Amino acid sequence: MILLRLISWPYVRKHLLRSVLTTAGIVLGVALLVGMQGANRSVLAAFYQTVDRIAGKAQLQVTAGESGFAEDVLDRVQAVPQVRAAAPVIEASVETGMKGQGKLLILAVDMTGDRSLRDYNFENGDEDVIDDPLVFLAQPDSLIITREFAGRNGLGTGSRIAFATMEGPRQFTVRGVLKAGGMAAAFGGNLGIMDIYAAQKVFGRGRHFDRIDIGLADGVSLEQGQAALEKALGPGFNVEPPSGRGRQFESLLGIYTTAMSISSLFALFVGVFIIYNSFAIAVTQRRSEIGILRALGATRGQIRTLFLGESAIAGLIGSAAGVALGLAFTRSLTGFTGQLAEAVFGIPQNTREILVDPRFLLVALVVGVVTSMIAAFIPARSASRVEPVQALQKGKYQVLLAGENRTRRRAALLALALSLACLAFSRYRPLFFLGYLLTVTAALLLAPFLSLELARMLRGPLKWLRPIEGSLAADSLIQAPRRTSATVSALMLSLALAIAHGGVSLSSVRSLKEWMEGTLNPDLFVSASETLSAREFRFPAAMEGELEAIPGVADVQPIRTARVQLGGKPVMIVAAELGKIYRRIHRTIIAGDATAMDTLAPQGKGVVIAENLSVLQKLRVGQVIELPTPSGPLRMPILGIVRDYSNQLGAVFLERSVYVRYFQDDTVDLFRLYVTRGATAEEVRRQIVDRLGSHRRLFVLSNRDVRDYVTQIAHQWLGLTYIQVFVALIVAVLGIVNTLTVSISDRRRELGVLRAVGGLRAQIRGTIWMEAVAIGAIGLALGTATGAVFLYYEVQAIGKDIAGTPLAYEFPFGIVGMLVPVILFAALVSAVLPAETAVRSSLVEALEYE
Amino acid sequence: MNKAAAAIPLVLWTAAWAQDPRAIVEESQRRGRANSQRYEGVLEVIGANAKVTRKSWQSFRLGSFGESKAIIRFTAPADVKGMALLVINHPDRSSDQWMWTPAIGRDRRIALQDRSTRFFGTDFSFEDLEERDVNQYDYRLTGEEAIDGAPCWRIEARPRHGKVSQYTLSRVWIRKADYVAAQYENLVKDQVARRLHQTDIRNVQGIWTAQTLEMTDLRRNSRTILRIEKLAYNVPMQDDDFTVQALRREQ
Repeated sequence: MILLRLISWPYVRKHLLRSVLTTAGIVLGVALLVGMQGANRSVLAAFYQTVDRIAGKAQLQVTAGESGFAEDVLDRVQAVPQVRAAAPVIEASVETGMKGQGKLLILAVDMTGDRSLRDYNFENGDEDVIDDPLVFLAQPDSLIITREFAGRNGLGTGSRIAFATMEGPRQFTVRGVLKAGGMAAAFGGNLGIMDIYAAQKVFGRGRHFDRIDIGLADGVSLEQGQAALEKALGPGFNVEPPSGRGRQFESLLGIYTTAMSISSLFALFVGVFIIYNSFAIAVTQRRSEIGILRALGATRGQIRTLFLGESAIAGLIGSAAGVALGLAFTRSLTGFTGQLAEAVFGIPQNTREILVDPRFLLVALVVGVVTSMIAAFIPARSASRVEPVQALQKGKYQVLLAGENRTRRRAALLALALSLACLAFSRYRPLFFLGYLLTVTAALLLAPFLSLELARMLRGPLKWLRPIEGSLAADSLIQAPRRTSATVSALMLSLALAIAHGGVSLSSVRSLKEWMEGTLNPDLFVSASETLSAREFRFPAAMEGELEAIPGVADVQPIRTARVQLGGKPVMIVAAELGKIYRRIHRTIIAGDATAMDTLAPQGKGVVIAENLSVLQKLRVGQVIELPTPSGPLRMPILGIVRDYSNQLGAVFLERSVYVRYFQDDTVDLFRLYVTRGATAEEVRRQIVDRLGSHRRLFVLSNRDVRDYVTQIAHQWLGLTYIQVFVALIVAVLGIVNTLTVSISDRRRELGVLRAVGGLRAQIRGTIWMEAVAIGAIGLALGTATGAVFLYYEVQAIGKDIAGTPLAYEFPFGIVGMLVPVILFAALVSAVLPAETAVRSSLVEALEYE
Repeated sequence: MNKAAAAIPLVLWTAAWAQDPRAIVEESQRRGRANSQRYEGVLEVIGANAKVTRKSWQSFRLGSFGESKAIIRFTAPADVKGMALLVINHPDRSSDQWMWTPAIGRDRRIALQDRSTRFFGTDFSFEDLEERDVNQYDYRLTGEEAIDGAPCWRIEARPRHGKVSQYTLSRVWIRKADYVAAQYENLVKDQVARRLHQTDIRNVQGIWTAQTLEMTDLRRNSRTILRIEKLAYNVPMQDDDFTVQALRREQ
């Protein structure tokens, strides 16, 4: 403690800017970690909260995937002796059109029996609201809203709210206002309650319910109730506590959460190099202090503890600032994550409350401190090994010793050889990831050597550009590789990350486009919901005929999509008239016989599955899969595997007639429409809207609209990755500023001498600028090479482990072309402040230095 | 033996027999029995805040106590007109109920899982509308008391084991003169939750019937008055009129 106060604190005060820059890496890394985790947690917590609040006292819920089930299932459930109360539910969200209010989650229940499961806490008791429960039931336009929503929109009992229903636009009358709290807090207060039988018409559900909420009889345990219901209903139904819905959502978000966590940690990893660099430099600069301390009797352990203590304090301060910044990030990231979840999974989101787990904040603090200490470990060890005599030999320590260099190169080569060996056995996935880790290690070990060699190579061009400034800049890098190598490593890692992510984005978007070209080729899409991912509104089957009757329509393909559990994961069933579809699309067959697919699948004698499903669940052609349906398990052989990007966890293509029979659901989410030769899509679109728009809720999208929408979601999905890459780059650029500040501080006397012998300020400035640009160029070269390798690993990991969809290796030349000027410019900008400090410092002080 | 003398042993026998509370209740039910019943009801709900809502309905009942079928069809106000409720009573279990909603052309089965809830905003609960099977209660005569000036037996009815009820105990006052129940008190944990006061008792086609029923919810401090008009017994009705299909057909 005394050493920290007497030795460390004065050093920090003297180099305040550098200390700030050192902790900036930790600040940003921790901020990103906290922001991402906070956003994910808030979205998940909001979903869980909504599920929990609207579940009320329900102990179990009966579902059958997203398809719902026929009303008679309710009688079967109510007949189970262990069931005290069973209440059917339909849940969907609607756009109210109220500015800034987002969606209203409609919970449709049967008010005659629902109160045994949910507390409806009405304003002024029941009288003023469902003052007439009979009127509420008698009038299908009845709606109950929350006080919060009413207050925000100036609504009250008797007010009218309009939204589009499956029977066209309708006005709904507020016949009740729920008090704040309890159920009213679900979905951020944007909750509406409607009669379930009215909702069946509003949302086009036919005579189906989405789920049944269950209250168990006294003395019946959850397990007993679950077992009894499962026995009564059979395997097509899912009986689980309400929290199970939250877990399903969590499982959908799983890929996204994993990707975000990895990237956040990567940003922190980049920060490690900045800290390492700062401490390595600090050790070098304070060698004389260390030597004196050692001469005065300080043990090696005390010196090591001193530096580790400094790093712990820097880590703690950086982490605390990072936590604060992360909390500020959380709100905007939460909105982004919520929108993404809604766009990709079609699950409505309304996260108004930011939830941060204090335990995670503590973990983030610990991670920041530990990261900082890990980064400082090697410099601290080096400091403890400084001999008092060696401490007096200034300048020598910046040079990489030939032996040290050789050892690193050997270790790097060993790591490379091992990574290649791992690659050869990449069928065993842990070995593949070990290979990736070894490649990163090799790149980091080689970075100092390669930096030095590249600096040497750059000397010529720099000298050619500006003979004096160029030579001085290159020599500075060559003579003190230790000073720059960590910064170059940080820059290299950041750029590698940017290039790998960029390559993945490019490849993903390109693959998606190719798939869209082949399969999303109808001229028009008629959807019941605003987006293609939402499935809350459904068309009746009869609408197929109505569309066919419209002049100019050549072909109508009804599609019904619904998530069901397969292998414990929510996968998408795409029910379609497969024969009709196959005649129109150009699919990429991965496995299976095209003729068998074309003949047997439309006859309902098997299914075709998406490639990602086959990879993620290790399914092969010929294997029989079992789909849970309300009519019992549907066993179907896999006839073929095709490339498909319609669902992240995979899709099963099933003949529509089989779906209708097993799921007892003939509704349609989407119609794919082809127009006749000579007719224009625009004209047909107008006709559809004119003929059906007044009495049906429908959205007619052109082929371009749909493709743009899919591409936009893809970019949205990749959006957060871009933010993380950006943060990693900022951390790396901060590293350059740090390095240059140190470089100037180290060369203060040298720069002073230069100015004393007639060196112009412009030349000094130019030297520092060129040094910065050189660091940027070296980082770019190494980052590009490393990025090319990282991209390979990412493409493989995504294809085989994360998404299950193979991506083509596509090096992002365009991104690299964009990064070159950005990084060089950033390096130049980062040199401005250090350069000005150098040229404006006192010449006398500079000459007195040391 | 004159008629009066001849009647003495009968009266003595009846009085002695009538001291059995279960027998009193059975006799009360027996006297109210008819093949069918039809009336027009006017319902007035007076909330704690003195707000009054009114509804009218037509009621049809076929069959005798415990095995009856009933339809209540709302006639006013306009926004509930056409709504109908079909109740099929069973002697050994809870009744089945369906509701018809004309605006959406749908019938729905009413789950009686929560029979303690109010019957469509009135102070009656769904359970209060059910006919009580004497075999599902234990009775105790707790005294005699006058209600509206008429001497009554005061009987306690406690649900037997296995009978699901929101009430832990009910008290009924049965008029000695005509065996018509004059008042009920339904208790939840020793607190009176609801009180039904039956007045305007008239003889209609030989059956003494209360024409005004006032249910007070003491916890909510609100009350509902049901006035029975145009009451008629033993009106021709058919089984087919008391089905879910009939509910739809009537529209």
